[in-house]
Amino acid sequence: MKKQFKFLAYALLVSVLITSCSNDDNDDNGSSSLGAYDNGYFVLNEGNGNPATASVTFVGDEGIVVEDVFRLVNPTADEVGSYLQDIFFDDTRAFIISGSANQVTVVDRYTFEYIATIDSNFSAPRYGTVENGKAYVTNSADWSTGADDFLTIIDLEDYSTTTLVVGDYAEKITSDDDYVYISNGYYGSGNAVTVLNTNTQTMTSIDLGTGNSPNSILEEDDDLYVLSYDYASNGKIFKINTATNAIESTIDLPASLVGAKNLKIENESFYFTVDASVYSASMSSTTISDTALLTYSSTSTYGVMYGFNVEDDKIFISDGGDFNSNSNVYEYSLNGTLLNTITVGVGPNSFHFN
Amino acid sequence: MKKGILFLLIVFFSLSVIAQTKLDSVQQLEEVVLKADRYLKTFTNTQKVQTLKDTVFSRSAPSLTQLLNYNSTLYFKENGLGMVSSPSFRGTTAQQTAVAWNGININSQFNGQTDFNTINIRNFDGVSIRSGGGSVLYGSGAIGGSIHLNNNISFNEGFNNSVYANYGSFNTLDVGVKSGFSSKQFSVDVAVSRSSSDNDYDYVDSDKTNLNGAFYNQSISANFGYKINAKNILKFYSYLYDGEREFSFIFPSETPTKYQDLNSRNMLEWNGVYGKFVSTLKLAYLTENYKYFANSNLDTYSFGKAKTLIGKYDLSYRVFKDAMLQGVVDITNTSGEGSSIDNNKRTISSFSLLYKQQVKSFFYEATIRKEVTNNYDSPLLYSLGLQYKFGNHYTLNINGSKNFRIPTYNDLYWEGSGNVNLKPETSQQIEIGNQLDFKHLSFSATGFYNNIKDMIRWLPTGSVWQPVNTDHVETYGVESKLDFKYHIKEHQFSLGSSYAYTISKNKQTNQQLTYVPKHKVTGLFNYQYKRAALYYETLYVGEVLTLEDDDPKYILDAYLVSNMGLSYALGKQKQFTVGTQIKNLYNKNYQSVASRYMPGINYNFYLNFNF
Repeated sequence: MKKQFKFLAYALLVSVLITSCSNDDNDDNGSSSLGAYDNGYFVLNEGNGNPATASVTFVGDEGIVVEDVFRLVNPTADEVGSYLQDIFFDDTRAFIISGSANQVTVVDRYTFEYIATIDSNFSAPRYGTVENGKAYVTNSADWSTGADDFLTIIDLEDYSTTTLVVGDYAEKITSDDDYVYISNGYYGSGNAVTVLNTNTQTMTSIDLGTGNSPNSILEEDDDLYVLSYDYASNGKIFKINTATNAIESTIDLPASLVGAKNLKIENESFYFTVDASVYSASMSSTTISDTALLTYSSTSTYGVMYGFNVEDDKIFISDGGDFNSNSNVYEYSLNGTLLNTITVGVGPNSFHFN
Repeated sequence: MKKGILFLLIVFFSLSVIAQTKLDSVQQLEEVVLKADRYLKTFTNTQKVQTLKDTVFSRSAPSLTQLLNYNSTLYFKENGLGMVSSPSFRGTTAQQTAVAWNGININSQFNGQTDFNTINIRNFDGVSIRSGGGSVLYGSGAIGGSIHLNNNISFNEGFNNSVYANYGSFNTLDVGVKSGFSSKQFSVDVAVSRSSSDNDYDYVDSDKTNLNGAFYNQSISANFGYKINAKNILKFYSYLYDGEREFSFIFPSETPTKYQDLNSRNMLEWNGVYGKFVSTLKLAYLTENYKYFANSNLDTYSFGKAKTLIGKYDLSYRVFKDAMLQGVVDITNTSGEGSSIDNNKRTISSFSLLYKQQVKSFFYEATIRKEVTNNYDSPLLYSLGLQYKFGNHYTLNINGSKNFRIPTYNDLYWEGSGNVNLKPETSQQIEIGNQLDFKHLSFSATGFYNNIKDMIRWLPTGSVWQPVNTDHVETYGVESKLDFKYHIKEHQFSLGSSYAYTISKNKQTNQQLTYVPKHKVTGLFNYQYKRAALYYETLYVGEVLTLEDDDPKYILDAYLVSNMGLSYALGKQKQFTVGTQIKNLYNKNYQSVASRYMPGINYNFYLNFNF
């Protein structure tokens, strides 16, 4: 019964999308009918270890919510794994990382149709990015040391893999113009950023200084922005010139903001979080106010602000809840008004926009 | 509190006076002291005790999980065949099921539970299942019930030897050798067992295989008895277990992990019978060691090791022929440490008083226990059981008790998460048991209600877990058992069946606890003709919630699994039995724990030789 209902909902959704797309005459390459999940975002629900609790929820621009997209579209495909860590995209594909299964599942970005499972050369994979025809995935390997952390490099033609040892904590990753940037921070350990030239496979390390352990990294207009925090010092936002690999400027966060994470940029503003609060500051300002833009209410012991993003003039927050039942996503306007509350899966940890 | 104890004592004695039965001065030593776990006989009269041995053993796989899953109302959550297995007794948790080795509680000091796949039944003479609270008798964890692994020391029986060997699918080997000798004064028996399996079964309806699931375990037990004289017996029980398990994969690319256990148990016991007094002194030394390899390919591991020294003295006094009073003092000293636990010691002393009396068809037993320790506040525990026999066929039992479970080493001392302010979990329960006995048929049904407070719970969260006294759980239900035996000439039929209906609700959410089925049924049909036996056993486990969310996608389906077996006895005294079994006869695809597939149809052959 439930399955039938899901199928009907899915069919309805597809027909709505197809109908709406077919009226769009300006589209010459058909990109607006790329698939049922073209317009909206995915929420990654990491689950609690049992693969049945790991899932991907789709939220369409019209507010339509589709639970467990992967199993809905691919009922007989190999499972994506458990402790789902990250989704990253290239132009047509989505790559779903499972930390415990040591695998990456490749699906069509817009239809979510299963393409392949890549399961060689991973050891506790973390985050991924695509650059220059290859995917780069960070791996923690043995959690107790950063020395063995490495990259899995996936050839996107045939999904073959090779590895490259980073030799420092390899966590968050981003890329642009043939370069891959890795934040070498892991829960307060590590204080550098590694730059990888994908043409030569040579690496350069940028030292952020003792006590500055990076937890977010992003690239915007040829500059790299890194948010750091550990117990020894104030949080800082570093701006790094990607042409020279030099730290161009540093903004200190107020001492009252302890444990800042989740740096995002939207409309020339920084956004980041501390506990259940969201803060923002103009990118041109040199100081940051400790007045929160918004604070959401959470009863979660360990899953406060488990996922965070800012996109298309909206703020997205996911709450980890008790990691033992379905949890929620909250959509806010940029001025902090709650727009929507959406029930998703177990342990929602990130947002990925189509 | 003191007034309450005094009151109880007065009640006992005044009732004793009413029963003017003559004391039988001749005590038979054998009757009183041959079993290490005497409470099962002496103070468990108003609760149900089921004992499994002999034929049931030889037809069962060697793990305690398999034995109890098919032969009792206990529910098991097994992470794939042979992997971590935790029981739920009357809807309680694994930690609320006590396991006693010859009367001594052996639940882990670290996690407070026993993994039922780390006990090999071939080292024991019998396994008893005792339903309902028993913390006064067996201490922490005896909330849902308790499981008893017993060795009997016998005298004057000459040589007794047995060899058991079983080989089956997935290169599964199960061997047990027992050898015993006893004279009038001496008794010795030694049992060695080994169980191993590649455990690489194919999943049903799938092209996947159970990977990284191999295991082995070996145990040796030795028990000695010496009658010093007509009044004194010395006994020594010894047990060593060594096992290694890989933890099976859900996905073939997972990092391989494995787990090793090394446990030893030794106990010296001195029984003395002096007129109306029976005195028992026990000294036990238990060790547990585990190593967990988060990556089997590396030499690094995390560990835990604990040593427990127990001294226990009990003195019972036969007040009248049909009345007994018993006092018990025990001291338990534990020291434990692990990768994430600093060395910690704790000492717990306890004092108990027990009384029972038969007054014609009416019987009652009452017990109290108080623990003293610096580590936490311990409540006064008690139980009261009443029994009345209505004629020869119907017995009514009523039992009420207060039980507890103490915080474990992990709960208290785990680095960065342990909570030293925890209280013990407590449970108040009442049960009414009905027992019907006829020539060919017996039937029992017990209704129970259990109110468990301050349940300790580790929140399953991202990177940090912490235990808190949070949950309030109410369990209630019915346990029933039907046994039927009949024979026409040389055709013997027997039917054994159990059914448990269990509601186990978190009072806050009013939702059934995860991994507690509302229904569990077992059935065993046996037909024997002369030397041949054919049997069919079946197990039904109802659906369970896997998360605290009743979203249907997190519900694990019910399953019905059936096994069939054939055996034939050879030799003059039928001392040689050969048998074969087909397990999961209908090749049912089922999971006990979500995503942990169990094997499909599989086979084994066994020999049992007694001489």
